[in-house]
Amino acid sequence: MKLTVNGNTEEVNVEPDMPLLWVLRDELGITGVKYGCGIAQCGACTVHVDGVAVRSCQMRVGDLDGEVTTIEGLGSAEKLHIVQEAWIEHQVAQCGYCQSGQIMQAASFLEFNDDPTDEEIDTAMSANLCRCGTYPRIRTAIKTAAKNIREA
Amino acid sequence: MKKLSLAVLAASFAFVSHAFAAEAVGTNRVINEFPDGSISQEEGLENWQKFFEVASHPRCANCHVGADHKPMWSGPSFGDKARVHGMNINAGESRIGAETLLCSTCHVTLKEPDPNANSIAHAAPKVAMAWQLAPVEAEWFGKSSSYICNQLKDPTRNGERTIKEVAIHLDHDLILHWAWEPGGTREPAPHSLQETMDALMKWSAAGTPCPE
Ligand code: FES
Ligand code: FES
Repeated sequence: MKLTVNGNTEEVNVEPDMPLLWVLRDELGITGVKYGCGIAQCGACTVHVDGVAVRSCQMRVGDLDGEVTTIEGLGSAEKLHIVQEAWIEHQVAQCGYCQSGQIMQAASFLEFNDDPTDEEIDTAMSANLCRCGTYPRIRTAIKTAAKNIREA
Repeated sequence: MKKLSLAVLAASFAFVSHAFAAEAVGTNRVINEFPDGSISQEEGLENWQKFFEVASHPRCANCHVGADHKPMWSGPSFGDKARVHGMNINAGESRIGAETLLCSTCHVTLKEPDPNANSIAHAAPKVAMAWQLAPVEAEWFGKSSSYICNQLKDPTRNGERTIKEVAIHLDHDLILHWAWEPGGTREPAPHSLQETMDALMKWSAAGTPCPE
């Protein structure tokens, strides 16, 4: 079956009920996307499908309907995404395991709302767990990214 | 960068759900009609009770919540105590989570109905339509039988539907189909979809009597 990931058309020979997460990591070697729980409880596996955040562990590849973007395709080495820049500015990551999911979720959220309140940020981000407890820095970085988006 | 407007997104989801309401989804349920007056008050109330057992079951009531837009976690899978959905989830006024986190981020959308899609007990259930809360007018969680009875026959709160249209609507909503085939170790809603539709039609033929 064919799918588009980070702008590239990929051909994979897999069962349609394989989770997109496995296809990305094990078949295509795209390992920025992480496995945490496999049951939609942690957010580590978050990618975009047509720009909207989706837990790739829940999406069977046969149900995929749209173009996939992972952290590898959100920005580029030359031009980082505004959310990635804010993450670096505030040194959000600790161990980093949850962070690609956090960034993908935040980037999708800011597409809907580029002037979020603290409460809206907490509601949007509470399903992305961070065992290192980087939550205060995530919130600050989202505020900075939102400001930069508004001013861009 | 592509800009998604909240209003456009919410409208497109509303359209999807409306489109489902307007087309047959190929189930084999039927509308059984009963002539007006052919069902006694008593039998009408018994049939209302049957419907209430469905409406108040966690499989249905957990997503028929009020204006705080917070889905509930209650029922045998969650122990004795009802609690709000974990992870600080709030579906917002859009009832699809468009303001913050879409329900369908985790409750992903299937291409077509598949009863095997929800075999993992603790994963987020998914169906072949965008996951969402019921409209706020249809608040059921914790409400009495009498309250829900009067609500269901009130056109301003039931989407301007006759009871027959409500029964037809039940067959066209795929989240609702999931309630009877929830997968994993989740307890299904009681009776069956066909029995529930029949109960509504009998209640209607009895003149929609409500308990005190
Ligand atoms: S691995 Fe997908 S949500 Fe945890
Ligand atoms: S930075 Fe370690 S889990 Fe989030």
